[in-house]
Amino acid sequence: MEGIMAIWQRDLIKFFRDRARLFGSFTMPILFLLIFGGGLSGTMETMMTQNIDVGEDFNYVQFVFPGIVSMTLLMTSVFSAMSVIEDKDFGYMKEILVSPISRVSIAVGKMAGAATVSTIQGIMLFALIPLLGLSYDFMSLIQVIPFMFLLGAALSGIGLLFASVINSTQGFQLIVNIIVLPMVFLSGALFPISGMPGWLDVVVKLNPVTYGVDVMKKIMIDIDQLSMTVRETMGLNLTLFGRQVTVFEEILFILAFTVIVIAIATFSFKRANA
Amino acid sequence: MNSVIQVSDLVKTYKNVNAVKGINFDVKEGEIFGFLGPNGAGKSTTINMICTMLPPTSGSVVINGYDVHKQKDEVRGSIGIIFQENTLDEKLTANENLRLHCRFYNVPKEKRHSRIQEVLQIVDLVDVQNKRVEEFSGGMKRRLEIARGLLHYPKVLFLDEPTVGLDPNTRAHLWKYILKLKEQEGITMFLTTHYLDEAEVSDRIAIMDQGEIIAMDSPTVLKDELGGDLIELSTEDNDQAIEEIQEKVTGADVTVSGDTIHLKVESSDAFISDFIKTLDIPITKLNIRKPTLNDVFLAYTGRNIQTSEG
Repeated sequence: MEGIMAIWQRDLIKFFRDRARLFGSFTMPILFLLIFGGGLSGTMETMMTQNIDVGEDFNYVQFVFPGIVSMTLLMTSVFSAMSVIEDKDFGYMKEILVSPISRVSIAVGKMAGAATVSTIQGIMLFALIPLLGLSYDFMSLIQVIPFMFLLGAALSGIGLLFASVINSTQGFQLIVNIIVLPMVFLSGALFPISGMPGWLDVVVKLNPVTYGVDVMKKIMIDIDQLSMTVRETMGLNLTLFGRQVTVFEEILFILAFTVIVIAIATFSFKRANA
Repeated sequence: MNSVIQVSDLVKTYKNVNAVKGINFDVKEGEIFGFLGPNGAGKSTTINMICTMLPPTSGSVVINGYDVHKQKDEVRGSIGIIFQENTLDEKLTANENLRLHCRFYNVPKEKRHSRIQEVLQIVDLVDVQNKRVEEFSGGMKRRLEIARGLLHYPKVLFLDEPTVGLDPNTRAHLWKYILKLKEQEGITMFLTTHYLDEAEVSDRIAIMDQGEIIAMDSPTVLKDELGGDLIELSTEDNDQAIEEIQEKVTGADVTVSGDTIHLKVESSDAFISDFIKTLDIPITKLNIRKPTLNDVFLAYTGRNIQTSEG
C-alpha cells in the first residue's frame, strides 16, 4: 500500500510542478467546448433533430459537455502513462524495479496517479458549466466524480499497455494519437452513435469509451426528465445484442476492463524486471 | 567472517552465447569486493543476476541468507544499488527523492526523517536538500545516489562504476565519502570500475573474462604474483634497441606497446645500472615502477582495461 501511495504521490507532485503540461492539457478540452459547444451547437442541433420534432428540451451543449469531460479523461489518463516511458528513459524505473515494491503496486500506483490527474482536470471543467449557460443537478455532479476516477483508471490502463511495448516518447505520442481520436469520435462523446453502419457499430460497441461516455451522460443529464424522443436523439439508448444496457452493467464492464488491464500491466512490469 | 554473498555455479546462457559459465565466489561481510573485467566479459550479466534483475539459467546466489531467485523481495530489501547511470528524479528535490526511497523500502514512518538527515550528513548535502536535483552538479548527484542507497541500511552496497564521467577532483572527493562509509558503517561493498587505481581500495578483487573468473585475491597478492619490477623505456631507435636487448640482456621479459619497450625483471635495483651501460642507443625516456593492477589485468586478460572498451 505504501508503495502504491508513493508512486501515486510522485506522479501528482510532478503533474502540478509541470506548468506547461498543466496549462496545455486544459486548452484542448476548452477548445473543443468552444468549437462544439459554441460554434457548432446550432448546426449539430439542426442535424440531430432533422427528422423529428423534439420540442424545446433539446440542448446540444448539455449533450456534449459530459462527452467533452470524458474526452478529457481519456486524453489525460492515456497520456499520463507516458510517465512510464519517461521513467525508463531517465533511469528512475530502475530505482523502482530494484526496490521490494510488488509489481502489481507499480501498475496500480501508476494507474491511480493517471486517474487522479484526469479526474482533477475533469472537475476543473465543471467550473465552465455556468459560463456555458448549463445547469446540472449538484448531486449528480458529485455522483459522477467516483465514476470519472474509475473511467480514468481504466483508460490509463490502455496507455500503460502501450507504454510497456513502446520505448520512445515520440512513438508513444504518435501511436496514442492514432488510437485516441477514433476512440473519441466513435464513442458518442461529440455526436450520437446510433444508426451507424454495421461494421462501425461493432467498433463502437467494443470501444470502452462508449460505455464511459454513456454512463457520464446518464448520471449528469437527468434522463428521467427527458422525453423518449429526446433520449433517442441524444443516443442514450445504447443497446447490446438487442437489449438496452443498464448503467450498472456498464460500470461492471469498465471495472472488469480495469482489472484485466492491471493484470497485463503487472505482467509487463514483471518481465521488465527480468 | 561470514559471507554476505555466496555465488555458486552461476550460469547464464542466451540462445547460443554462454555469457556466464558457472562462476563461484563469496563476498565476506564488511569487505570491499572489486569486480573487474573488460566489456563483454559477463560482468553486467553477473551483477544483474545478483541484483534480482535477471533470472539465472542455473546455479544460485544467496545474499544475506536469501535466495536471489526465490526470495526476490527480501534480497531487494537487503541491497542498495548505485547504478552507472543517473536514476534520480531530477524534477524532485533531494529530500523528496530520499523520502520516496524510504517508502519504496518500507522504512518505518517515525524513522524516516532522522535517517534522511543522517545520510545527507554523510555526503554533505544537508544544506541543499530542498533544491531540485536538476540544479545539482554531477558530483552532487552521485553523492545523493550514494546517500539514497544507504537509506534502508542495506547489507551490501553495489557500486557500478560509481565515478564514471566525473572529473578527477570530484572522483577523489567521492572516494573519500565512500571510504568514510566503510569505516563508519562497516558496510559491505561490491564495486565495479574501469579506473583500476580506484580498485586498489578493494580488500579482494575478482577478474572476469569471457564468462569466467580468471583471478581472485587481494590487490597486493595479485600484484606480487606478477613479481618483480617493470621498466619502461623509449629510445631513439626502438627496433635496434630491441635487437640489442635480445642479444645482450638476460633475465628480462620484453614486450613492446606503441613506442615504449617494457621489460619485466626480478629486481630493478641490480639490473638497471648494468642495463643502461649495455645499451648503445641513447635512451629518451626511462621509467621504473612496481606492477599496478593494470599490469595484473593486462597479464590475465591480454588487454588493457581502458582500451578494451566497446
